[in-house]
Amino acid sequence: KGKAAMKRDKKDEEASGNIYANLDKTSVLQEARAFNETPINARKCSLILTKLLYIISQGEQIGRTEATEAFFAVTKLWQSKDANLRRLVYIVVKDLSTISDDVIIVTSSLTKDMTGREDIYRPAAIRALCRITDTGMLQTIERYMKQAIVDRNGAVASAALVSSTHLMKKSAEVVRRWANEVQESVSSDNHMVQYHALGLLYHIRVNDRLAVNKLVQKFSKNSLKSPYAICYLIRIAARLLEEDDQADSAIFTFIESCLRHKSEMVVYEAASAIVSLPNITASELSPAITVLQLFCSSPKAALRFAAVRTLNKVSIKHPNSVMSCNVDLEKLISDSNRSIATLAITTLLKTGRECTVEK
Amino acid sequence: VEPYNMGNFDNDPTSLYSVKGIVILDQDGNRVIGKYFDHAAFGTTKEQKAFEKSMFQKTSRNSSAEILLLDGVTCIYRSNVDLYMYVLGSSRENELILESVLNCLYDAISTVLRKNVEKKALVDAMDTCILILDEICDEGIIMETDPQAVVQRCALKGDEVMFSDQ
Repeated sequence: KGKAAMKRDKKDEEASGNIYANLDKTSVLQEARAFNETPINARKCSLILTKLLYIISQGEQIGRTEATEAFFAVTKLWQSKDANLRRLVYIVVKDLSTISDDVIIVTSSLTKDMTGREDIYRPAAIRALCRITDTGMLQTIERYMKQAIVDRNGAVASAALVSSTHLMKKSAEVVRRWANEVQESVSSDNHMVQYHALGLLYHIRVNDRLAVNKLVQKFSKNSLKSPYAICYLIRIAARLLEEDDQADSAIFTFIESCLRHKSEMVVYEAASAIVSLPNITASELSPAITVLQLFCSSPKAALRFAAVRTLNKVSIKHPNSVMSCNVDLEKLISDSNRSIATLAITTLLKTGRECTVEK
Repeated sequence: VEPYNMGNFDNDPTSLYSVKGIVILDQDGNRVIGKYFDHAAFGTTKEQKAFEKSMFQKTSRNSSAEILLLDGVTCIYRSNVDLYMYVLGSSRENELILESVLNCLYDAISTVLRKNVEKKALVDAMDTCILILDEICDEGIIMETDPQAVVQRCALKGDEVMFSDQ
């Protein structure tokens, strides 16, 4: 495209009212001074915050001094009760937290929002608060975090669990003390809460083999409802089997039983786990291969892709087991998705006779 | 600046960090909005733009293909009129899980834009779309995949979204 055409495009965008098309960092940061005005014009300030978030999302680099100045201006916006504005403030706090100085000045505002009555604020406030918190400060909000992890509001519990997972990287010792609350959350009816809780519980216990074993045994007995949590449990179970050839056979039985789950996501996860296990026999492989073979003719491209990619991996170690899928793989050679077609061909090169591939 | 996110996206199957990025491009392949979480793979804006360019070239010609493996990154995508939405995932992640993230993104945005999934409408609702991205993924961990839950959590002014419209 020529320069003239580009210019015309930009003019078109301006004419069509795309105010984000030609934003300039300096002018956006200058506009942020409006945050200091009283009374606060929520609509105007929301638009400025959106512009700021937009230039950040475009990859614009903001210097420490500029960021700090903008951050302090943003703190003034807490005086407004406008929900949309407050939500944008939380995101800006997160985005500027790594490039601005003294971000901890918003700790008390965020703690107040996190423990307040407004359900629309609580999850986002937890996430922003944990982003600016260090190990020392974490102890002062520990009580609130434990409460949030078991909160009946799924968004609140998920926000607390996911934030705790991030915090494991800097304050693992503190987060480990919340194991009881996290374990309680695994029983949540909310699918995402169950997934986040199981993930965090595993990372709390990861160095205790016996505890991980118990965890898998406990939750493999039909107690999980979330397909995401079950997929995650399959991953932990597979890791146990990988690391220990003397592992409990019930663990393999659990993964195998997931091949009959009603969710395709879980069925695929189980099949993919089984075929990746070391020392697996042909008869143990067979039901997993059958499932992947069925997925090869799915109308969903993502599922065909997943199936053929996994078959491709198995065909390296177990070409004979994948041979039963050759007819289905041949059909995929002409798949409209190039990645699927390529994977089908490379798989056939390992399992098929050459003449079938040449067609 | 030390990147906040040090999660392991690729090698640890038990890592909860599995979404490397969420990006929406326009019909010229320019970023309308986007967020990257894997700072090892996409550390600089230059790297991100180069990846987007290559991804756009491969997907805009065959927009019905839905999925692509590019430089070890699983890219799941959906397009409509002049928008291309992508969820970039770790290559170890279950593709169907990544697909559920993309579907959530598409459906949540579609609800907010009252089924007008096109650039002009998205630009007009930029603030809400930024909130949607934030509700779906946190630093690479999948937060929520139910579009109704996502839309409800986006602090919309009462009359802005009617679920009865659906």
